[in-house]
Amino acid sequence: MERYARGDEAAFADLYDAIGPRLLAFLRRATRDAPAAEDLMQETLLHMHRARGSFIPGAPVRPWAWAIARRLATDRARRRRVERGVFSETPSDDPTSYEPVATSASADDLLHARRLAGRILQRIDALPELQRTAYRLLRDEGLSLKRAAAALGTSVTAVKLRAHRASVALRTVVREMEGLA
Amino acid sequence: MTVELRARVLAAAAAQASPTRADVRRRNVCIALAAVASGLGAFMIFAVLMSDGHLLRLGGDVAPRQYLERTAGLVAATVGGALGIAAVAVWLALGRGRSMLGRSRPSLLVGAALIPISLLAWRVGCSIAFGTTMVPWAERPGERCLALSLLVAAGPLLSFLAIRRSSPAQPALNGAVIGIAAGACAWVAADLWCPVAYVPHVLLGHVLPLGVLAGAGALLGRGLLAPRSS
Repeated sequence: MERYARGDEAAFADLYDAIGPRLLAFLRRATRDAPAAEDLMQETLLHMHRARGSFIPGAPVRPWAWAIARRLATDRARRRRVERGVFSETPSDDPTSYEPVATSASADDLLHARRLAGRILQRIDALPELQRTAYRLLRDEGLSLKRAAAALGTSVTAVKLRAHRASVALRTVVREMEGLA
Repeated sequence: MTVELRARVLAAAAAQASPTRADVRRRNVCIALAAVASGLGAFMIFAVLMSDGHLLRLGGDVAPRQYLERTAGLVAATVGGALGIAAVAVWLALGRGRSMLGRSRPSLLVGAALIPISLLAWRVGCSIAFGTTMVPWAERPGERCLALSLLVAAGPLLSFLAIRRSSPAQPALNGAVIGIAAGACAWVAADLWCPVAYVPHVLLGHVLPLGVLAGAGALLGRGLLAPRSS
Protein backbone atom coordinates (compact mmCIF):
# COMPACT_ATOMS: atom_id res chain seq x y z
CA MET A 1 0.00 0.00 0.00
CA GLU A 2 2.87 2.32 0.79
CA ARG A 3 4.33 1.81 -2.70
CA TYR A 4 0.90 2.46 -4.18
CA ALA A 5 0.44 5.61 -2.12
CA ARG A 6 3.79 6.87 -3.42
CA GLY A 7 2.48 6.56 -6.97
CA ASP A 8 3.61 3.08 -8.07
CA GLU A 9 0.55 2.11 -10.13
CA ALA A 10 1.58 -1.53 -10.44
CA ALA A 11 1.48 -1.92 -6.66
CA PHE A 12 -2.31 -2.07 -6.71
CA ALA A 13 -2.15 -5.56 -8.20
CA ASP A 14 0.18 -6.61 -5.38
CA LEU A 15 -2.19 -5.08 -2.86
CA TYR A 16 -5.04 -7.03 -4.43
CA ASP A 17 -3.08 -10.27 -4.23
CA ALA A 18 -2.09 -9.58 -0.63
CA ILE A 19 -5.50 -8.90 0.85
CA GLY A 20 -8.04 -9.80 -1.86
CA PRO A 21 -8.50 -13.52 -1.11
CA ARG A 22 -9.01 -13.08 2.65
CA LEU A 23 -11.17 -10.05 2.13
CA LEU A 24 -13.36 -11.96 -0.29
CA ALA A 25 -13.61 -14.89 2.11
CA PHE A 26 -14.61 -12.51 4.91
CA LEU A 27 -17.26 -10.91 2.75
CA ARG A 28 -18.59 -14.25 1.54
CA ARG A 29 -19.06 -15.38 5.11
CA ALA A 30 -20.60 -12.04 6.02
CA THR A 31 -23.05 -11.90 3.13
CA ARG A 32 -23.61 -15.57 2.17
CA ASP A 33 -23.89 -14.25 -1.33
CA ALA A 34 -20.93 -14.80 -3.64
CA PRO A 35 -21.79 -12.14 -6.28
CA ALA A 36 -22.53 -9.58 -3.56
CA ALA A 37 -19.26 -10.42 -1.83
CA GLU A 38 -17.36 -9.87 -5.07
CA ASP A 39 -19.07 -6.53 -5.61
CA LEU A 40 -18.30 -5.47 -2.05
CA MET A 41 -14.69 -6.52 -2.38
CA GLN A 42 -14.39 -4.43 -5.51
CA GLU A 43 -15.97 -1.46 -3.74
CA THR A 44 -13.64 -1.89 -0.77
CA LEU A 45 -10.55 -1.96 -2.94
CA LEU A 46 -11.76 1.00 -4.98
CA HIS A 47 -12.36 2.92 -1.77
CA MET A 48 -8.75 2.18 -0.78
CA HIS A 49 -7.64 3.14 -4.28
CA ARG A 50 -9.34 6.53 -4.00
CA ALA A 51 -7.87 7.09 -0.54
CA ARG A 52 -4.30 6.18 -1.42
CA GLY A 53 -3.19 9.80 -1.33
CA SER A 54 -4.07 9.99 2.35
CA PHE A 55 -2.45 6.71 3.34
CA ILE A 56 -0.32 7.05 6.46
CA PRO A 57 3.13 5.50 5.95
CA GLY A 58 3.47 2.38 8.06
CA ALA A 59 -0.21 2.18 8.99
CA PRO A 60 -1.64 -1.35 9.14
CA VAL A 61 -3.69 -2.08 6.03
CA ARG A 62 -5.83 -5.05 7.06
CA PRO A 63 -7.87 -3.41 9.85
CA TRP A 64 -8.53 -0.51 7.51
CA ALA A 65 -9.65 -2.80 4.69
CA TRP A 66 -11.81 -4.87 7.01
CA ALA A 67 -13.41 -1.78 8.53
CA ILE A 68 -14.32 -0.46 5.07
CA ALA A 69 -15.62 -3.87 4.00
CA ARG A 70 -17.68 -4.25 7.14
CA ARG A 71 -19.17 -0.78 6.75
CA LEU A 72 -20.01 -1.41 3.09
CA ALA A 73 -21.54 -4.82 3.89
CA THR A 74 -23.63 -3.32 6.68
CA ASP A 75 -24.78 -0.52 4.43
CA ARG A 76 -25.68 -2.94 1.67
CA ALA A 77 -27.58 -5.21 4.07
CA ARG A 78 -29.48 -2.22 5.44
CA ARG A 79 -30.43 -1.13 1.94
CA ARG A 80 -31.58 -4.57 1.03
CA ARG A 81 -33.71 -4.81 4.16
CA VAL A 82 -35.26 -1.47 3.34
CA GLU A 83 -35.83 -2.54 -0.25
CA ARG A 84 -37.47 -5.74 0.84
CA GLY A 85 -39.53 -3.98 3.45
CA VAL A 86 -38.62 -6.40 6.21
CA PHE A 87 -36.59 -5.88 9.33
CA SER A 88 -34.63 -9.08 9.51
CA GLU A 89 -33.10 -11.37 6.97
CA THR A 90 -34.21 -14.98 6.87
CA PRO A 91 -31.19 -17.09 7.67
CA SER A 92 -30.20 -19.51 5.02
CA ASP A 93 -31.01 -23.15 5.80
CA ASP A 94 -28.69 -24.43 3.14
CA PRO A 95 -25.22 -24.86 4.64
CA THR A 96 -23.60 -25.46 1.27
CA SER A 97 -20.16 -24.42 2.43
CA TYR A 98 -19.94 -27.28 4.90
CA GLU A 99 -17.50 -29.99 3.94
CA PRO A 100 -17.38 -33.09 6.13
CA VAL A 101 -13.85 -33.82 7.27
CA ALA A 102 -14.25 -37.39 8.49
CA THR A 103 -15.08 -39.21 5.30
CA SER A 104 -15.13 -42.51 7.09
CA ALA A 105 -17.79 -41.40 9.57
CA SER A 106 -21.15 -43.08 9.64
CA ALA A 107 -24.12 -41.64 7.79
CA ASP A 108 -25.74 -40.68 11.10
CA ASP A 109 -22.60 -38.84 12.21
CA LEU A 110 -22.40 -37.01 8.93
CA LEU A 111 -26.05 -36.09 9.10
CA HIS A 112 -25.62 -34.86 12.66
CA ALA A 113 -22.52 -32.89 11.75
CA ARG A 114 -24.31 -31.35 8.79
CA ARG A 115 -27.27 -30.37 10.96
CA LEU A 116 -24.97 -28.99 13.61
CA ALA A 117 -23.10 -26.92 11.05
CA GLY A 118 -26.39 -25.64 9.69
CA ARG A 119 -27.62 -24.67 13.15
CA ILE A 120 -24.35 -22.95 13.97
CA LEU A 121 -24.45 -20.96 10.74
CA GLN A 122 -28.05 -19.99 11.45
CA ARG A 123 -27.10 -18.96 14.97
CA ILE A 124 -24.17 -16.90 13.67
CA ASP A 125 -26.53 -15.16 11.27
CA ALA A 126 -28.96 -14.48 14.09
CA LEU A 127 -26.31 -12.90 16.33
CA PRO A 128 -26.37 -9.14 16.68
CA GLU A 129 -24.21 -7.62 13.95
CA LEU A 130 -21.57 -6.32 16.36
CA GLN A 131 -21.15 -9.71 18.05
CA ARG A 132 -21.09 -11.54 14.72
CA THR A 133 -18.44 -9.28 13.22
CA ALA A 134 -16.26 -9.34 16.34
CA TYR A 135 -16.45 -13.14 16.39
CA ARG A 136 -15.57 -13.42 12.71
CA LEU A 137 -12.71 -10.95 12.82
CA LEU A 138 -11.14 -12.85 15.72
CA ARG A 139 -11.93 -16.45 14.83
CA ASP A 140 -12.19 -16.49 11.06
CA GLU A 141 -9.84 -13.69 10.06
CA GLY A 142 -7.36 -14.18 12.86
CA LEU A 143 -7.09 -10.48 13.67
CA SER A 144 -5.61 -9.60 17.03
CA LEU A 145 -7.91 -8.10 19.66
CA LYS A 146 -6.28 -4.72 19.15
CA ARG A 147 -6.69 -4.73 15.38
CA ALA A 148 -10.23 -6.06 15.57
CA ALA A 149 -11.03 -3.27 18.03
CA ALA A 150 -9.54 -0.74 15.62
CA ALA A 151 -11.52 -2.16 12.70
CA LEU A 152 -14.73 -2.03 14.71
CA GLY A 153 -14.01 1.38 16.18
CA THR A 154 -14.35 0.18 19.74
CA SER A 155 -12.26 -0.90 22.71
CA VAL A 156 -10.46 -4.20 23.18
CA THR A 157 -12.71 -4.95 26.15
CA ALA A 158 -15.83 -4.46 24.05
CA VAL A 159 -14.48 -6.79 21.34
CA LYS A 160 -13.68 -9.43 23.97
CA LEU A 161 -17.15 -9.13 25.41
CA ARG A 162 -18.88 -9.36 22.03
CA ALA A 163 -16.82 -12.35 20.93
CA HIS A 164 -17.42 -14.02 24.29
CA ARG A 165 -21.18 -13.55 24.00
CA ALA A 166 -21.10 -14.95 20.48
CA SER A 167 -19.09 -17.95 21.69
CA VAL A 168 -21.54 -18.57 24.52
CA ALA A 169 -24.45 -18.49 22.07
CA LEU A 170 -22.72 -20.95 19.75
CA ARG A 171 -21.74 -23.27 22.59
CA THR A 172 -25.40 -23.35 23.61
CA VAL A 173 -26.32 -24.52 20.11
CA VAL A 174 -23.70 -27.26 20.28
CA ARG A 175 -24.92 -28.41 23.71
CA GLU A 176 -28.52 -28.46 22.51
CA MET A 177 -27.57 -30.53 19.48
CA GLU A 178 -25.45 -32.91 21.53
CA GLY A 179 -28.40 -33.33 23.88
CA LEU A 180 -30.56 -34.37 20.93
CA ALA A 181 -27.98 -36.77 19.50
CA MET B 1 -11.05 -15.96 -6.45
CA THR B 2 -11.29 -15.85 -10.16
CA VAL B 3 -8.92 -14.29 -12.62
CA GLU B 4 -11.90 -12.43 -14.09
CA LEU B 5 -12.67 -10.80 -10.76
CA ARG B 6 -9.06 -9.70 -10.37
CA ALA B 7 -9.04 -8.28 -13.88
CA ARG B 8 -12.36 -6.53 -13.24
CA VAL B 9 -11.15 -4.87 -10.04
CA LEU B 10 -7.84 -3.80 -11.54
CA ALA B 11 -9.62 -2.37 -14.59
CA ALA B 12 -12.09 -0.51 -12.41
CA ALA B 13 -9.25 0.97 -10.38
CA ALA B 14 -7.37 1.98 -13.49
CA ALA B 15 -10.49 3.73 -14.79
CA GLN B 16 -10.97 5.75 -11.61
CA ALA B 17 -8.85 8.75 -10.79
CA SER B 18 -7.16 8.62 -7.44
CA PRO B 19 -5.27 11.60 -6.05
CA THR B 20 -1.66 11.18 -5.03
CA ARG B 21 -0.27 12.45 -1.74
CA ALA B 22 0.79 15.71 -3.35
CA ASP B 23 -2.70 16.20 -4.80
CA VAL B 24 -4.30 15.51 -1.42
CA ARG B 25 -1.94 17.94 0.30
CA ARG B 26 -2.72 20.70 -2.22
CA ARG B 27 -6.44 20.04 -1.96
CA ASN B 28 -6.34 20.10 1.85
CA VAL B 29 -4.43 23.39 1.87
CA CYS B 30 -7.06 24.92 -0.43
CA ILE B 31 -9.89 23.62 1.76
CA ALA B 32 -8.19 24.90 4.92
CA LEU B 33 -7.77 28.34 3.34
CA ALA B 34 -11.43 28.29 2.35
CA ALA B 35 -12.33 27.40 5.95
CA VAL B 36 -10.31 30.32 7.31
CA ALA B 37 -11.79 32.68 4.71
CA SER B 38 -15.36 31.57 5.38
CA GLY B 39 -14.90 31.83 9.15
CA LEU B 40 -13.31 35.28 8.94
CA GLY B 41 -15.91 36.43 6.41
CA ALA B 42 -18.77 35.29 8.59
CA PHE B 43 -17.18 36.94 11.61
CA MET B 44 -16.67 40.24 9.83
CA ILE B 45 -20.19 40.28 8.39
CA PHE B 46 -21.77 39.39 11.70
CA ALA B 47 -19.64 41.74 13.75
CA VAL B 48 -20.25 44.66 11.40
CA LEU B 49 -23.98 43.99 11.25
CA MET B 50 -24.40 43.52 14.98
CA SER B 51 -21.98 46.10 16.33
CA ASP B 52 -22.42 48.96 13.94
CA GLY B 53 -18.83 48.74 12.79
CA HIS B 54 -17.18 48.47 16.21
CA LEU B 55 -15.72 45.00 16.26
CA LEU B 56 -14.57 44.82 19.85
CA ARG B 57 -16.97 47.28 21.45
CA LEU B 58 -20.25 45.65 20.80
CA GLY B 59 -23.20 46.35 23.04
CA GLY B 60 -22.35 49.82 24.21
CA ASP B 61 -26.03 50.56 24.44
CA VAL B 62 -26.85 47.63 26.69
CA ALA B 63 -23.87 47.34 29.00
CA PRO B 64 -21.98 49.68 31.29
CA ARG B 65 -19.05 51.10 29.39
CA GLN B 66 -16.41 50.14 31.92
CA TYR B 67 -17.27 46.45 31.38
CA LEU B 68 -16.95 46.73 27.64
CA GLU B 69 -13.44 48.04 27.75
CA ARG B 70 -11.58 44.82 28.16
CA THR B 71 -7.89 45.22 28.71
CA ALA B 72 -5.56 44.06 25.95
CA GLY B 73 -4.14 41.55 28.42
CA LEU B 74 -7.53 39.98 29.06
CA VAL B 75 -8.34 39.80 25.35
CA ALA B 76 -4.91 38.33 24.58
CA ALA B 77 -5.21 35.81 27.38
CA THR B 78 -8.71 34.58 26.55
CA VAL B 79 -8.18 34.55 22.79
CA GLY B 80 -4.70 33.06 23.03
CA GLY B 81 -5.84 30.26 25.32
CA ALA B 82 -8.88 29.54 23.18
CA LEU B 83 -6.68 29.50 20.09
CA GLY B 84 -4.42 26.93 21.69
CA ILE B 85 -7.34 24.72 22.70
CA ALA B 86 -8.86 25.10 19.23
CA ALA B 87 -5.54 24.01 17.68
CA VAL B 88 -5.56 20.90 19.88
CA ALA B 89 -9.18 20.23 18.91
CA VAL B 90 -8.40 20.48 15.19
CA TRP B 91 -5.37 18.23 15.64
CA LEU B 92 -7.54 15.69 17.45
CA ALA B 93 -10.34 15.85 14.89
CA LEU B 94 -8.29 15.75 11.70
CA GLY B 95 -5.24 13.77 12.76
CA ARG B 96 -5.39 10.01 12.53
CA GLY B 97 -2.39 9.05 14.60
CA ARG B 98 -0.63 6.06 13.07
CA SER B 99 -3.76 4.29 11.89
CA MET B 100 -5.89 4.72 8.81
CA LEU B 101 -8.90 4.23 11.08
CA GLY B 102 -8.16 7.38 13.01
CA ARG B 103 -7.91 7.91 16.71
CA SER B 104 -9.27 5.42 19.18
CA ARG B 105 -12.78 5.75 20.51
CA PRO B 106 -11.66 6.55 24.10
CA SER B 107 -9.34 9.34 22.96
CA LEU B 108 -12.10 10.87 20.83
CA LEU B 109 -14.60 10.64 23.68
CA VAL B 110 -12.18 12.16 26.17
CA GLY B 111 -11.31 14.92 23.70
CA ALA B 112 -14.97 15.62 22.99
CA ALA B 113 -15.62 16.00 26.70
CA LEU B 114 -12.48 17.95 27.63
CA ILE B 115 -12.45 20.56 24.86
CA PRO B 116 -15.67 22.35 25.89
CA ILE B 117 -14.75 22.06 29.57
CA SER B 118 -11.28 23.49 28.89
CA LEU B 119 -12.65 26.38 26.85
CA LEU B 120 -15.22 27.24 29.51
CA ALA B 121 -12.72 26.94 32.34
CA TRP B 122 -10.17 29.08 30.51
CA ARG B 123 -12.66 31.79 29.72
CA VAL B 124 -14.11 31.95 33.21
CA GLY B 125 -10.69 31.59 34.84
CA CYS B 126 -9.21 34.47 32.84
CA SER B 127 -12.22 36.65 33.56
CA ILE B 128 -11.99 35.95 37.28
CA ALA B 129 -8.27 36.68 37.22
CA PHE B 130 -8.79 39.98 35.41
CA GLY B 131 -11.92 40.97 37.39
CA THR B 132 -14.87 42.98 36.11
CA THR B 133 -16.44 40.92 33.28
CA MET B 134 -18.19 38.28 35.41
CA VAL B 135 -21.08 40.58 36.33
CA PRO B 136 -24.59 39.49 35.23
CA TRP B 137 -25.79 41.11 32.01
CA ALA B 138 -29.50 40.48 31.75
CA GLU B 139 -29.68 42.26 28.39
CA ARG B 140 -27.30 39.79 26.78
CA PRO B 141 -28.47 36.26 27.46
CA GLY B 142 -26.23 34.94 24.70
CA GLU B 143 -28.39 34.40 21.65
CA ARG B 144 -26.24 36.67 19.51
CA CYS B 145 -23.09 34.83 20.52
CA LEU B 146 -24.90 31.59 19.74
CA ALA B 147 -25.73 32.84 16.25
CA LEU B 148 -22.19 34.17 15.73
CA SER B 149 -20.64 30.87 16.80
CA LEU B 150 -22.86 28.79 14.52
CA LEU B 151 -22.35 31.13 11.59
CA VAL B 152 -18.57 31.22 11.95
CA ALA B 153 -18.32 27.46 12.52
CA ALA B 154 -20.39 26.40 9.50
CA GLY B 155 -17.60 26.81 6.95
CA PRO B 156 -14.89 25.15 9.04
CA LEU B 157 -17.25 22.25 9.87
CA LEU B 158 -17.84 21.48 6.19
CA SER B 159 -14.17 22.06 5.37
CA PHE B 160 -12.96 19.73 8.13
CA LEU B 161 -15.36 17.03 6.95
CA ALA B 162 -14.00 17.46 3.43
CA ILE B 163 -10.43 17.17 4.69
CA ARG B 164 -11.19 14.07 6.78
CA ARG B 165 -13.09 12.52 3.86
CA SER B 166 -13.57 9.06 5.31
CA SER B 167 -13.81 7.36 8.66
CA PRO B 168 -14.87 3.75 8.23
CA ALA B 169 -14.65 2.71 11.87
CA GLN B 170 -16.52 5.47 13.74
CA PRO B 171 -17.88 8.10 11.38
CA ALA B 172 -20.46 9.59 13.73
CA LEU B 173 -18.05 10.04 16.64
CA ASN B 174 -15.40 11.44 14.34
CA GLY B 175 -17.97 13.82 12.88
CA ALA B 176 -18.96 14.92 16.37
CA VAL B 177 -15.35 15.70 17.27
CA ILE B 178 -14.97 17.58 13.99
CA GLY B 179 -18.06 19.60 14.94
CA ILE B 180 -16.53 20.40 18.31
CA ALA B 181 -13.28 21.42 16.63
CA ALA B 182 -15.17 23.77 14.31
CA GLY B 183 -16.99 25.11 17.35
CA ALA B 184 -13.68 25.66 19.14
CA CYS B 185 -12.48 27.73 16.18
CA ALA B 186 -15.70 29.75 16.35
CA TRP B 187 -15.14 30.16 20.10
CA VAL B 188 -11.99 32.15 19.29
CA ALA B 189 -14.05 34.53 17.18
CA ALA B 190 -16.70 34.80 19.87
CA ASP B 191 -13.98 35.53 22.44
CA LEU B 192 -12.71 38.36 20.28
CA TRP B 193 -16.18 39.78 19.89
CA CYS B 194 -17.86 39.27 23.23
CA PRO B 195 -16.71 40.79 26.51
CA VAL B 196 -19.29 38.96 28.64
CA ALA B 197 -18.01 36.19 30.89
CA TYR B 198 -21.15 35.81 33.00
CA VAL B 199 -21.47 32.03 33.22
CA PRO B 200 -25.13 31.61 32.10
CA HIS B 201 -24.31 33.79 29.07
CA VAL B 202 -21.21 31.74 28.29
CA LEU B 203 -23.16 28.50 28.63
CA LEU B 204 -25.89 29.61 26.25
CA GLY B 205 -23.91 31.68 23.77
CA HIS B 206 -20.57 29.90 23.74
CA VAL B 207 -20.89 26.34 25.08
CA LEU B 208 -24.28 25.42 23.60
CA PRO B 209 -23.00 25.94 20.01
CA LEU B 210 -20.37 23.31 20.70
CA GLY B 211 -23.13 20.83 21.53
CA VAL B 212 -25.17 21.83 18.49
CA LEU B 213 -22.13 21.51 16.26
CA ALA B 214 -21.20 18.16 17.79
CA GLY B 215 -24.70 16.88 16.95
CA ALA B 216 -24.58 18.31 13.45
CA GLY B 217 -21.09 16.89 12.98
CA ALA B 218 -22.24 13.45 14.12
CA LEU B 219 -25.13 13.48 11.65
CA LEU B 220 -23.00 14.78 8.81
CA GLY B 221 -20.19 12.40 9.73
CA ARG B 222 -22.50 9.41 9.59
CA GLY B 223 -23.71 10.53 6.20
CA LEU B 224 -20.47 11.74 4.65
CA LEU B 225 -17.59 9.94 6.33
CA ALA B 226 -18.94 6.39 6.34
CA PRO B 227 -18.16 4.38 3.19
CA ARG B 228 -21.36 3.79 1.26
CA SER B 229 -22.21 0.80 -0.86
CA SER B 230 -23.11 1.83 -4.40
